[in-house]
Amino acid sequence: MNSTAYLFVNSMEPETQALARGLRRRDPDLLDRLIEQYHYRLFRYLLYLTGSREAAEDFFQETWVRVIDRGHQYNGKFKFETWLFTIARNLVTDFQRRKKSLNALFDPDKGEPMPQLEAAHSPSPADLAAAHEESDRVAGALSRLSAAYREVLLLRFQEELSLEEIAAVVAAPLSTVKSRLYRGLSELREMLERGTA
Amino acid sequence: MSEDDHQRAERLIVANQVEGLSASDQEWLNRHLERCARCASRADSTEQALRSLRSVSVHVGPGLIRGTRLRVYARALELRERRTQMTMLWVSCALSWLLGALSAPFVWRAFAWLGERFRMPAIAWQLGFTLWWALPAVAVAVVLVMRRTQAERGNESLK
Repeated sequence: MNSTAYLFVNSMEPETQALARGLRRRDPDLLDRLIEQYHYRLFRYLLYLTGSREAAEDFFQETWVRVIDRGHQYNGKFKFETWLFTIARNLVTDFQRRKKSLNALFDPDKGEPMPQLEAAHSPSPADLAAAHEESDRVAGALSRLSAAYREVLLLRFQEELSLEEIAAVVAAPLSTVKSRLYRGLSELREMLERGTA
Repeated sequence: MSEDDHQRAERLIVANQVEGLSASDQEWLNRHLERCARCASRADSTEQALRSLRSVSVHVGPGLIRGTRLRVYARALELRERRTQMTMLWVSCALSWLLGALSAPFVWRAFAWLGERFRMPAIAWQLGFTLWWALPAVAVAVVLVMRRTQAERGNESLK
């Protein structure tokens, strides 16, 4: 893991230490609670990372199985979601590496935008047409953005991870993360302004 | 206002969202935005882009969560069972080693007696004794290798 990961030992340590102990015991109730608490954020991250609902669902299940398999490796020094997102990302990149398209996915210069990113919206406020329209517009813009930019934007502004946490998840230097955020945010804003989504 | 000022404002608008600004930069930016409609509009559209990004929601099917819970629960049980089996294996191994250590002088004499009785060369009955001594460790190693192979096959099938 990147050295920057060690920078953010936070005040939640007693809580994360308790979590680490529970994961070492493979406590099914704890896993149940964690799935309940983090399912939405993990699925959202995977959906935008893979660009496909079907792939996101597969990786979602696989990530939780990996959590129980590797629970003993969580040492409580980092927030749980940082570790969770790192596992999810590693699964996706391993899969992509096997398909020999990792560079195309995560190199912002070479990366092709994900073509099949769907506009996904909650069924409950289905009557809110304007909200859906906005959702579609942003989903469209995100799908046109390079995967490397999209990923850091989502981790920063949807998942609200710190820059150091993002660096740990994407295994990149802090300067790279900042640069991707600057460029990604500028590009997203321009796309939304132009209304090309 | 020079073009440099606008470029600086543009950089600070994004920096403000990404990592925050120092007090002096924030003050400079606020003053600039009060006087420059174009940059103020850029700041607004940046805010709006982030509001839109945060407002996007996704639907997670209840079936997916239910299925995941079941799979995780089954996996937890499987791992616990495996852990119990491994504990039993190590306990058996330890007992076997202890028994072997305690009985080694007697077994050595028994092998020596057999070697003499059947007129075998010393190296033959000593080799027999070594094999007898190493047998539990070999058996455990075989079990561990088999388990590892099975686990790897299981992981592959999940992929």
